[in-house]
Amino acid sequence: MQPLLKVENVTKRFHQVVANDSVSFEVMPGEIHCLLGENGAGKSTIAECIYGFYKPDKGSISVNGEVLDLDSPAEAIRHGIGMVHQHFVLVTSMTVLENIVIGTDAATAILNLQSATDRIKAICARYEVEIDLNSKVWQLTVGQQQWVEILKALFLGARLLIMDEPTAVLTPQESRRLFKIFREMTGDGMSIILISHKLDEVMQSDRVTVLRKGKRVGTVVTRDSSKSELTNLMVGRDVNLNLVRERSDVGLPMLVVSGLHAANDFGTDKLNGVDLTLNRGEIVGIAGVAGNGQKELFETLMGVRRATSGRVMLADQDITNKTPREVQQAGIGHVPDDRFAEGLIPDFDIQSNLVLGVHRDQPFARRGFLKFGQIRSFAKQAMDEFAIQAPSAQTICRTLSGGNAQKVIVAREFAQASRVILANQPSRGLDVGVIEYMHKRLFEKRKEGFAILIASEELDELLALSDRILVLFKGQIVGEFSHGAVDLERVGLLMAGHFDDAPNPNADRSL
Amino acid sequence: MGIVVEKRLTPSTSWQVASIILALLASGLVSALLLKSAGADLGTAFGALWDGAFGGWRASWKTLVKATPLILTGVAVAVAFRARIWNIGAEGQLFMGAIMSYWVYTLVGTLPPIILIPILFIAGFVGGGLYGGLAGWLKARFQVSEILTTVMLNYVATYFLSFLLIGPWRNPDSFFQQSPPIDRAARLPNLIGGTKLHLGFLVAILAVAVIYVLISRTSLGYEIRAMGMNAKAARFKGINVERTAVIVMLISGGVAGLAGVTEVFGVQGKLKPDISVGFGFTGIIIAVLALLNPIAIIFVAILFGGFVNGGIKLQVATGVPSTLTDAIQAIILLFFLTAAVLARYKFRLGTKDE
Repeated sequence: MQPLLKVENVTKRFHQVVANDSVSFEVMPGEIHCLLGENGAGKSTIAECIYGFYKPDKGSISVNGEVLDLDSPAEAIRHGIGMVHQHFVLVTSMTVLENIVIGTDAATAILNLQSATDRIKAICARYEVEIDLNSKVWQLTVGQQQWVEILKALFLGARLLIMDEPTAVLTPQESRRLFKIFREMTGDGMSIILISHKLDEVMQSDRVTVLRKGKRVGTVVTRDSSKSELTNLMVGRDVNLNLVRERSDVGLPMLVVSGLHAANDFGTDKLNGVDLTLNRGEIVGIAGVAGNGQKELFETLMGVRRATSGRVMLADQDITNKTPREVQQAGIGHVPDDRFAEGLIPDFDIQSNLVLGVHRDQPFARRGFLKFGQIRSFAKQAMDEFAIQAPSAQTICRTLSGGNAQKVIVAREFAQASRVILANQPSRGLDVGVIEYMHKRLFEKRKEGFAILIASEELDELLALSDRILVLFKGQIVGEFSHGAVDLERVGLLMAGHFDDAPNPNADRSL
Repeated sequence: MGIVVEKRLTPSTSWQVASIILALLASGLVSALLLKSAGADLGTAFGALWDGAFGGWRASWKTLVKATPLILTGVAVAVAFRARIWNIGAEGQLFMGAIMSYWVYTLVGTLPPIILIPILFIAGFVGGGLYGGLAGWLKARFQVSEILTTVMLNYVATYFLSFLLIGPWRNPDSFFQQSPPIDRAARLPNLIGGTKLHLGFLVAILAVAVIYVLISRTSLGYEIRAMGMNAKAARFKGINVERTAVIVMLISGGVAGLAGVTEVFGVQGKLKPDISVGFGFTGIIIAVLALLNPIAIIFVAILFGGFVNGGIKLQVATGVPSTLTDAIQAIILLFFLTAAVLARYKFRLGTKDE
């Protein structure tokens, strides 16, 4: 059988950085081919080369034996290549139908929507997708929005679909359903390139090409491989993300949240009565689809967002609606989910960022003047302790990698906090090695008696870390599981808002 | 193939220097074309410009006198801009500083100069500071854009001064709208005999030094910079950005207010509607050209002071209209701003993302 797509010795440079170094692989018709690699391994770059967004410096890309010289995604689409990006490219104020036909022949001069509608409906029927073509995109769930993207690619006649981290935003049920449909598509002779770092879904592909530092380290048949082999290929060494959980003596309640309500910046209620308790020496994980109030919960606890009602008690101290400075001085550290926008001053150097929040306090300031000697020696020590890789403490944080930036934030918060650590998506976008390191540090803090709250979209991470898992849905805690008694199936259903004990038969269908 | 523009990760020093030279050449060239089109002889024109600005001792100290209020308004604007607060109201704050210091003079003007003059500067700082602080408070309390309030408060200050000079403070013996002359003893002493370079110049340099230390060495300065670079992260880490905004506007307005004192008590010797000819606005240009660096502001302000004086000489020598020197100033600004952006980008032949 002739391969549908053939990538041969593709090299792509950005300035001095080699993003892809002579990468080759083939995708057969009807195959789900996974590209696996850490951040910066070159997965997205090679995908964007295939999609015509980048032009390779060397090497060739051919479809059905014909060598392509793509100048734009529009040409890639003409050759039957479609791509769904991790961040959707949709006009949210327009309808599903409009989003699908926009920029296509159906939308030229005179709108020929009827035949377009018929074709889209046929595609939906084929894959049993229920979606109202006339609803506006902003009204849809994230899972449905992803379908708009996929429908758009299919409508444009894609035979090869590139999916960039498709399940990052989905519940386990939604991702399972997505993979079922992927299988139906490949049954029809389509091929799918799946970019992912989640081993569970990587295992559902037919073959895996592993990239490391821009180079292909191997292509394996998934059936003959294992998760540990793939991790080893990806990282270049053995990694253990399931660290041995030492027993920790869970102590008295440290942070008690009751009936907490808060709204987002647009006045929409995002927390609708959150109750939770963090005990000393305990890690509590919050599971939930993005946008169910995680951000608002952390911000309200930190005093950055106003609680409209409810109470937050730290030991016996009421800290509801205290200022961020008061909350931090009470001993709470916070690792926000958006490192460069909320966690750091990107144009400050590392040492200045490390004292953000204590820049008025001894020993870093005296009588209103900064003590640069103290700041520098503290920074050196923190950089050693957290293995922050940078030329010096005066390196501007903007130039740091995500992992090193996160280490700066964590080093700062660990130094400033004395009782509680709140971390929202602490390992998002980080390499496995850094994640492993972060987990180790969190366990240390747990052992020291800290009460720790972590929200993550990676259920595996929560399973590995948490003594208890709480499910957050529409601003309420709708489920609680202790470590060792976690029913992943239930967690997934609760994340999607199905509270009945019996699994909702429609759950799978309602994307 | 084509010309590719890419952002540099770190600004290149050699390119920054090159871009400044390029900007100088380009603005010189375009200014020359403009002068030529106005019928001026270029040699005479540029010669007169240089003579008026730095040609000799007399021209030089006169330039320093002109630079004095510009240093103050420039550094006033820079403090606010560092915090990303767009204070366009240095002009109004200057007027309020002048009004406040003159008012205090009318109350305690008979004190010995050694006591009176510091009091006048304090009054000027308070006048301008409270006026700037008002805009800061409106921003902090009601989220009113400081751009709007400071611009509008400029008009209020201008017309308030007019009112005072038509009404209560008018010199009955004068045909012009101006106050009676200020006692010799209350005027700012000259620094060097035989010149009119007054104490205000020293105060301006001192203000720069204080602001420089404030911004780079103190916790408050740290907060001002943090807020200007990422207000959200600053807020998350406990910096009270609302309060800091008010403080910044108090300081910024206060420094601009000092310029009112130097003009009334150092140059004019009376309160007049034209104690400032747009110093507050020129201060914005100077602050931006100096990349908000207080030390650099001194040099840019002196350059602009020289430009004002040289411009006068240029008009006299060549007979070109006075608006032409304004145009040349604007041309310089545009080229320098372009150059500042260029230094942050890289240009080369090739294809994208190579």
